[in-house]
Amino acid sequence: MKALTKFKILSTAGVLAVGLGTTASANCGEVQIAEWNWASGELMANVDAFILENGYGCDVELVPGATTTTFASMNEKGQPQVAGELWINAVRDPLFAAMDEGRLHSANDGPITGLGEGWWITPAFKAAYPELDTVVKILERPDLFPYAEDPSKGAFIGCPAGWGCQLANANLFRAFDMEAKGWVLVDPGSAAGLDGSMSKAVERDEPWFGYYWSPTAMIGKYDMQLVPFGVEFAGSENWDGCIVKSEQECADPKPSSWTKSEVHTVITDDFKANGGDAVAYFEKRVFPGNIMNSMLVYMQDEQASGADAAIEFLIQHEDLWTGWVSEEAAAKIKAEI
Amino acid sequence: MFGIDWTKVDWQQPPVLARQELRDLKKGIDGSFREFSRTNGEWLEALFEPLLFFLKWFQDLLIATPWPLMLAIVGTLSWIGSRSLAMVLGAVTAFLFIGYLDMWEDTMATLAIVSIATALCILIGIPIGILMARNSKVEKSILPILDIMQTIPSFVYLIPVVMLLGIGKVPGLIAVMIYAMPPIVRLTNLGIRLVDKDTLEAADAFGADPQQKLFEVQIPLALPNIFAGVNQTIMMALSMVVIAAMIGVPGLGVPVLRAVSNQYLALGLMNGLAIVAIAIIFDRVSQSYGNRLQKHRGGGTND
Repeated sequence: MKALTKFKILSTAGVLAVGLGTTASANCGEVQIAEWNWASGELMANVDAFILENGYGCDVELVPGATTTTFASMNEKGQPQVAGELWINAVRDPLFAAMDEGRLHSANDGPITGLGEGWWITPAFKAAYPELDTVVKILERPDLFPYAEDPSKGAFIGCPAGWGCQLANANLFRAFDMEAKGWVLVDPGSAAGLDGSMSKAVERDEPWFGYYWSPTAMIGKYDMQLVPFGVEFAGSENWDGCIVKSEQECADPKPSSWTKSEVHTVITDDFKANGGDAVAYFEKRVFPGNIMNSMLVYMQDEQASGADAAIEFLIQHEDLWTGWVSEEAAAKIKAEI
Repeated sequence: MFGIDWTKVDWQQPPVLARQELRDLKKGIDGSFREFSRTNGEWLEALFEPLLFFLKWFQDLLIATPWPLMLAIVGTLSWIGSRSLAMVLGAVTAFLFIGYLDMWEDTMATLAIVSIATALCILIGIPIGILMARNSKVEKSILPILDIMQTIPSFVYLIPVVMLLGIGKVPGLIAVMIYAMPPIVRLTNLGIRLVDKDTLEAADAFGADPQQKLFEVQIPLALPNIFAGVNQTIMMALSMVVIAAMIGVPGLGVPVLRAVSNQYLALGLMNGLAIVAIAIIFDRVSQSYGNRLQKHRGGGTND
């Protein structure tokens, strides 16, 4: 029964492919790609779609969705076949179970470099104080980040009230003993407050030290610099059992670098078996973080959709994506741009 | 002409600015504001610095005040305002309850910003109201500004205020004042304009100069309206506490925001009700104070 449906889909795809004419990899067939509801995921899905469609002759459909729901559908029904930017922290256990059983595969364990959460400073500050290259060193200098309401203290902009990251930031604040070192943990109140404080600081050449995450347009727009913590990750027991918990449940937080956010490109077993050369594309396709951020800035400035931004990306960064595909496919894609 | 994209215009679409032009327009506005903030932000911030330290000092003072003393102050103020034992008991009980549910510090922070915002609104609003009452041209030019202040969604001005002054108490106070000031201005204006013409004529007949007329006839007679304005201003300031929390103002708004983003029902309800409790106390006390001020007028209305 199942085989029959698959046969039907393939034959319909075949009929469509005939219409397209010369496309070589006839075995690619119909592919559904998850299109996430955030900017970087939208862009990546559209780039994948354009390359697969024009370079490999796939018949691509973009399926909008959010992490948990789309993952559930992939896991249970095998559709969509490709999740380009899957943040696995939310679905870690079921994902690894499915990978062990061979239903899902990770085609790429780092489709975007330099992503994740952490503590950031402005590029001007980094240029002015190159010696302060870790969080631990910056923490010795609260005087460089005077807090407006009490200039004798340093301001660390944390995460807005009610967000998950608020607890992690508050606990790290305690773990690094920042209060004793002369710091104040500032609650920016909301996403608008957090973004606003960062924009204001950069626009005015004031120092800014606080929490943010990448890939985002804000990081790209202001070229914010992620500061390495300068301490090791103190184990998942410390992180998951203490840092992300409320203060009452985390009596003794240890200094630690931020937990690694893992993003994978996940494909279904079916696609791995039948996707042909397209699978190899996903294995090679890695967006450098700064290029991804600059594309997000472009999307925000121009209010561009994922599809528009994908074309822009393919035009601007030809040398990057031609490394991901075969020469033959590259020629076809270039012809279509 | 006017950058209109005629290809898009049909019966469902009125003449519309072409996409590129619209984008350029928005970018231009954003850019010039950014430029303004870059060149003027610093001295504006310095201008507000004394206010910031006063706000911070007042909040620290309220938080540092021992709670029995605070309860005594609340009780005394309610007594001075209302001369009603029930009111005093109610106010003290409400504050004890707030302390019991561990909202004391947030409540003090909220009280600090709301009372300073109200005081500033009164200090600035009443003179503007008087000016409007005396000069119809001023009234005509200020009314639309008041309309904007009351109806423009607060999020619209939060971002520019944050870009200019950063996050924290001062931008929070400004946001609160933008919303809370119009009632006191409007009602002062209205109150003075409603003063009986015959009374003014009588004052003229007694040879009162304009200043005497204002301070000894018009304002006293306008007091019920002015007090209604003060009342509304306090209420509106309190209702802005949650919005102010969105740009980093400490107080009862912060736990409300936390409750909203995590569906903490009880937390939201408790802090929301604490705001309501403060509002009711402020309202009853200020209203009964206003009413008592009117007693001297005699007549049947208040007695």
